[in-house]
Amino acid sequence: MEYRELFLEAIQSLRKNVLRTGLTMLGIVIGISAVILIVSIGQGAVQFITNELTTFGTNFFQINPGTSAVAQFAAGPKNLTLDDAEAIEADSSLTNVETVIPFAAANVGVTANGIDKNLLIYGMNHKAVEMLNPTILSGEFLAEEHILTSARVAVMGKDAASDFFGQDSDPVGEIIRVDNKPFRVIGVIESSSGFFGGFFNNTIYIPIEVALNQIIGPDEGIQEIDVGVYDTDLIDQTMEDVRILLRDRHNLDIEDEDDFIMQSFQDALSTVQTITGLLTLVVAAISGISLVVGGVGVMNIMLVTVTERTKEIGLLKAIGAKQKDILSQFLMEAVVITLIGGIVGIAIGISGAFLITLFVPIPFVVNIPSVIVAVGVAILVGVVFGLYPARRAAKLSPIDALRYE
Amino acid sequence: MPKNGQPLIHLQDIKKYYLLGDGSHYKALNGITLKIEKGEFIAIMGPSGSGKSTLMHILGALDVPTGGKYFFNGKDIGSFSDDELAEIRNREIGFVFQAFNLLARTTVFKNVERPMMYSNIPRKEREERVMEALRLVDLSDKAHSLSNRISGGQIQRVAIARALIMDPSVILADEPTGNLDTKTSVGIMNFLKELNRKGRTIIVITHEEDIARFARRRIRLVDGKILSDKRN
Repeated sequence: MEYRELFLEAIQSLRKNVLRTGLTMLGIVIGISAVILIVSIGQGAVQFITNELTTFGTNFFQINPGTSAVAQFAAGPKNLTLDDAEAIEADSSLTNVETVIPFAAANVGVTANGIDKNLLIYGMNHKAVEMLNPTILSGEFLAEEHILTSARVAVMGKDAASDFFGQDSDPVGEIIRVDNKPFRVIGVIESSSGFFGGFFNNTIYIPIEVALNQIIGPDEGIQEIDVGVYDTDLIDQTMEDVRILLRDRHNLDIEDEDDFIMQSFQDALSTVQTITGLLTLVVAAISGISLVVGGVGVMNIMLVTVTERTKEIGLLKAIGAKQKDILSQFLMEAVVITLIGGIVGIAIGISGAFLITLFVPIPFVVNIPSVIVAVGVAILVGVVFGLYPARRAAKLSPIDALRYE
Repeated sequence: MPKNGQPLIHLQDIKKYYLLGDGSHYKALNGITLKIEKGEFIAIMGPSGSGKSTLMHILGALDVPTGGKYFFNGKDIGSFSDDELAEIRNREIGFVFQAFNLLARTTVFKNVERPMMYSNIPRKEREERVMEALRLVDLSDKAHSLSNRISGGQIQRVAIARALIMDPSVILADEPTGNLDTKTSVGIMNFLKELNRKGRTIIVITHEEDIARFARRRIRLVDGKILSDKRN
């Protein structure tokens, strides 16, 4: 029989018992929709994180003190200094280095407009604007002259400004006290990052030398140096050159480990993408198990169908159906169940992913390959789990089938 | 078509034994030798348990004998594979059963069309042939009725139309009037008689004398053996 005939016949046959067909499909619908939903959310998350990290530009690498990511927070080593940052900038052999941005952070008391609050303040230079890419809401960001003159000026994050001065206020020109020292507010900024924005908008930015010499203490280390390069293709070589420079400056012996950590933003991006991708794959695979359960359901119902229709199989064999005719008829029914279940599952999965993006700030992503794979898997489940019942039907002896009561 | 001088069907010492639970054998057919020529109208009769249904299954290539030889159109079909037997059933034999003749909740048209689908006959030709067969059994107007929405007599006529659709060598009818009232039964048998008059070979299995009387040759079975073989 032709495939078209087989397909139409399978549809007709399944319509004879709509409820049973629907319930059998449910297992496949749940499995496929779960996989599609998870892959879609996973891809959305990867895209979201990628967007976040590329906000800061991928031509940067960061240097943090310590020998592990945890150490810089826990012990607060002091082995990365402003002098290190200046040395990198001053080294004329590092031709690929475009910008060097040192960061020093401290949690200090801030008084403004009669309000006292403890805030994380950031010391940095004027070049940080290239990396942070903020939207300037009012005034200006730290300028070179502020850095050179160690001016007591401050740029407030949007949320910090509203906390002290009220919503939609413009504190430019106001004097605030940071660690009891007066600073003139020169600007208000809003971070363009959706994810880190909450953090960057609730801080105060001041010139790094002022932060170190007047607040944190000149002997304290700094938390981070971000280095921007001209050519990202050469970033690995530049990182290696900077590493040698820093090791030399830190008087490290050949057998000593680095007392700082370097990571390019691109590496961070790749790491996050790999982890998210892997996580998506694992969760999708786990949801895929429900497809196997759905497949067993299909097999179960097909076995019942074959038993119920034994006499019909006998009749079909009497009028000339060969084994392959019966096999393809029942196999087609199983495949139609899983295929329709797969299509419904894809529709539900995509709709579900869309609904979730309305409530969670991740982009709506439909992964076309995953949809194609889902259809393929649905058909495969139909073939694999439909084969045994269909073979059983095909192998029935015509006379036994006709006699079946 | 049978080869020159050869009968359409030739059974030589056909035996069919069933193994019973106690290890002994039940001899449903115990040495049947029979020749059926093209164009015959035969009634195979006998009480229940005489072996007539078993004989019909073997004649219809639905079952294989335990012993003996079965020549159909001169070919020994005892050695045929399942698929080869399916092809014989499809092309050479038209079946009419007593009950469960049609696919449930499927149209009359689809039921009659079915054997042609197993022979990959093109759709257009199938349509023409189904309508012609339905005209022959006077059911053209029921082509698109569902099989469970027509009467018992109509069901048997649809079954006859389906049996004829592949233009087989023989029509094999197993108690074709078993579920019908007398008037309808006579109608069906007259129809089979008419088909035979036009040259079609017909074998009817029945336990009713009245039905057997329509045939020109009556074979009576008892205990798996031929008791008598009479012609009108």
